[in-house]
Amino acid sequence: MAFLEISSVSKSFGAVKVLDDITLEIERGEFVVFVGPSGCGKSTLLRMITGLDSPNSGTVSIEGKVMNDIEPAKRGTAMVFQSYALYPHMSAYDNVSFGLRMAHTAKTLIRQRVDAAAAILRLDKLLHRRPRELSGGQKQRVAIGRAIVREPRVFLFDEPLSNLDAELRVQMRAELIELHRRLDVTMIYVTHDQIEAMTMADRMVVLNAGRMQQVGRPLDLYDDPDNRFVAGFVGSPRMNFLAGEVVGADATSTRLLHAGGTGPLTLPIGGLQGQLKVEIGVRPDHLRILADGEDPPPAAIAFTGRVTFVEELGNVTYVHIVLDDGTPIVVGAGRGPRIGTDDVRITAPVGHALLFAQDGCRLRGRNGTGK
Amino acid sequence: MHLRRHLPHYLMIAPFMLLFAIFFLFPILSGFYYSFNDWNAVQPAKFVGLANYQKIIASRDFARSMWNLGTYIVITVPLGILVALGLALLVDNFTGRWAHVFRGAYFLPVVLPSFLAATIWRWIYAPNFGLLNMMLGWFGMPSVNFLNNTGSMIYCLIAVDVWASAGFNMIILLAGLKNIPTELYEAARLDGASKWQQIIHITIPMLGPVLFFVVTYGLISAMQVFDKPWLLTGSSFTTYGGRGNALLFPVMDMMGRGFGAVKFGEAAAYGFLLTLAIVMVTALMFVLRSWSDRR
Amino acid sequence: MTAKRASATSPTIWTVLKWTVAILAAVIAVFPVWWMINVVFSEPGQPVSINPRLWPTSLTAGLQTVHVIFAETAYLHAYMVSVCYSVLTIAGVLLFGSAAAFEFALFDFPGRRIIFGIVMLALMVPTAVTIIPTYLLTADLGWLNSMQGLVVPGLASAFGLFMLVQFMRAIPADMIEAARLDGASHLQIYWHVVLPLCRNAMVTLAILTFMQTWGNYMWPLLVGTSPDMYTVGQIVGMFNSPLSHQTVEVVMTANLLAAVPPLIFYLLFQRKIVEGIAMSGTKG
Ligand SMILES: Nc1ncnc2c1ncn2[C@@H]1O[C@H](COP(=O)(O)OP(=O)(O)O)[C@@H](O)[C@H]1O
Ligand SMILES: [Mg+2]
Repeated sequence: MAFLEISSVSKSFGAVKVLDDITLEIERGEFVVFVGPSGCGKSTLLRMITGLDSPNSGTVSIEGKVMNDIEPAKRGTAMVFQSYALYPHMSAYDNVSFGLRMAHTAKTLIRQRVDAAAAILRLDKLLHRRPRELSGGQKQRVAIGRAIVREPRVFLFDEPLSNLDAELRVQMRAELIELHRRLDVTMIYVTHDQIEAMTMADRMVVLNAGRMQQVGRPLDLYDDPDNRFVAGFVGSPRMNFLAGEVVGADATSTRLLHAGGTGPLTLPIGGLQGQLKVEIGVRPDHLRILADGEDPPPAAIAFTGRVTFVEELGNVTYVHIVLDDGTPIVVGAGRGPRIGTDDVRITAPVGHALLFAQDGCRLRGRNGTGK
Repeated sequence: MHLRRHLPHYLMIAPFMLLFAIFFLFPILSGFYYSFNDWNAVQPAKFVGLANYQKIIASRDFARSMWNLGTYIVITVPLGILVALGLALLVDNFTGRWAHVFRGAYFLPVVLPSFLAATIWRWIYAPNFGLLNMMLGWFGMPSVNFLNNTGSMIYCLIAVDVWASAGFNMIILLAGLKNIPTELYEAARLDGASKWQQIIHITIPMLGPVLFFVVTYGLISAMQVFDKPWLLTGSSFTTYGGRGNALLFPVMDMMGRGFGAVKFGEAAAYGFLLTLAIVMVTALMFVLRSWSDRR
Repeated sequence: MTAKRASATSPTIWTVLKWTVAILAAVIAVFPVWWMINVVFSEPGQPVSINPRLWPTSLTAGLQTVHVIFAETAYLHAYMVSVCYSVLTIAGVLLFGSAAAFEFALFDFPGRRIIFGIVMLALMVPTAVTIIPTYLLTADLGWLNSMQGLVVPGLASAFGLFMLVQFMRAIPADMIEAARLDGASHLQIYWHVVLPLCRNAMVTLAILTFMQTWGNYMWPLLVGTSPDMYTVGQIVGMFNSPLSHQTVEVVMTANLLAAVPPLIFYLLFQRKIVEGIAMSGTKG
């Protein structure tokens, strides 16, 4: 049995279904990230776990015990809010110790725990300050301190870094990972930022419109997405999609025509007889612009488009291209000769192409050739 | 289970709601009931239908108090708000310490207990040695008994009223003025608008909602005017309204019928008539607003 | 019109005009109060009315009159009654109002909207319609000439509730939920989190309630008819009544004494009072 089990949890607000049959198991000590566009139900799912809201159906259990009817404060979960939710009229010390004081913990024990948490978070010198006298990052640490002193079994973070500036965000990410290592407890972290998710997660859970899209290690999701949503959501810049039409299929390969292409293309994905319209997904990094006069490698994807603009970022250059049918394409290129706004030819090895059915499902092929 | 979960909420609002029900809702309903009865709080109530209402409407005091109220409102509300607006614009034109000083001075009368405003002004209006007559005396004019002269009494009241309430409206209008973005004035200055044009074309329209509140609130409180005329005329429950009933107002009339003549049914009916008038005036204000919004 | 011409020709005329009007208005606003002080603190035997002047002449004479009033009339007792009336009303309005506002502003429960709506309707109902039935009810309860009769009917202040709800709505939901996660009970959230956060609004409401209670003339006039329940308002009314046989100095001292508590509050809390009134007007 898993440490934390979410089984068939659904939640509606009025007629709007915000969570749809979520089932998920989380092991002790894992760092799990829920990621998805805003409004997809991430916070709602966290609130189900911590008990601030209750599901319409389904159960949440921790260490084998069903939590549905247990008070939020008694579940052994602690939550860090995006807004920090620090009490403005209390010092950092009083903020951190509020929960313990409400539980009538002995004063000396409170002191001990707060000091321990403050040492971990380097808050020692700030404990007497009010929230308004703290910087964003310091407030964040106080909010985390408030969670730590409760010695929870599960830490929940709801977009804790989104109010910080970019530099501090990167620094706090590292601190949180370090904190996870030191405390060795289960952490569930919510973010809409897939880069944050990729860098922090042991496992990430992609949500969209209240449904779980895929669960797995970040790189597995990147390399082997289950559907078009995950493929498009994970990775930056996002994956390119080309409309395609199947013209022939057998047990080991598929022949198709695609936007911007010149002739039929053969992909080593078998068993797609009966599919008609598909989408081909290729990451910008796998695309390459052909030099003038250079021929595409045999059996590779090749197509033509017009350059609309070029982002030169120093280490990489992103070339934005539009195909004849209006499909936008981004190509990741190295630092090369300047590219004008002419037509260019683009190529990619077929091994990196993913196929998606019209409903967004990944087409892996019946013989497992797709990866 | 549902009730259990919500019980704490109901417990927390219970004290307030109980007091509210007992000392607000119940009195309104019982007042409504009494208004159809002949009742002096000693003998049992006797149902009389609409007789109380008819009697009030037909009475001379009612006509007189309504006439007074009309005169009073027509002058005091616009005048009071004009003065308040003037003061607000004035204060808005100062900065820093002086803005503070003037605002503080204009607000001072509001802070005084309202009964005191009337009391102080009675001394100012007093014949012979009153401040006003003293000043008239410097110019060689004869002493006037302001509060005993049916022609001047209502203006005396209006002066007190404006003096006592302008500061209140000024504060609200000032807050409204502060909410007008300065860019608007800067844009108007670039367009060559004079100060006066800025007031007419930017300040007043932008103050619309606040002015609406001030006017509506001013009307509602003016219709309930009581303690100032009561004290200016040195009234009691048996003799009130001053010489020739020149300062007789509806609430005074109502209180007199209730506590002077001990006709509580009639007094309750009076209260409802007055409420009806207030509701109608308020509704009219809202209609006027939506009408002017649509234009 | 004058303003336009002034600003068009020369800014200095505009400035002079501005200052003149501002100072004149300030004199009119303040003078009656100043004059009261003048009369109270004047040399005995030299009444201001006969010998006009613009400044007080004798501090001791004024204090002497105050002493006489406190020692020889029921003024001090009325003062105590008024203070009790105000303090109890403030305490009740704050306590019951904040508890109810806490629920209306921050939680949802069946009937919340409709109950709150009914209370808000009360803001529009004139005192005139309730005062007589409320008086009769108070009389039925046997509360005439008692402190509870003075205080209790005024405790369910719709205005106070409205103001506190407005303020509490600005408290982020996260804050309440964080407190719940910290294990605070419903009452503890109210007491330890929400009330401290509303301190400003509570202080403002307390001051406004004080001003209103201290200046309330009508209700004490009806309920407190026996001399030992007279409030300052009634006593001042008597000093000023045509039948009063007090001298001008004494009457003015009585008036000034009634103004002292609100004036002190005003000097101490000017900003809070002004903010409170501005808020009730612009948000309402
Ligand atoms: N209390 C509520 N009442 C109604 N709708 C809600 C409530 N809470 C959340 N929602 C809706 O549920 C959806 C998911 O919200 P949320 O879980 O906060 O998304 P996010 O993934 O951005 O955290 C949103 O569309 C939101 O509008
Ligand atoms: Mg969220």
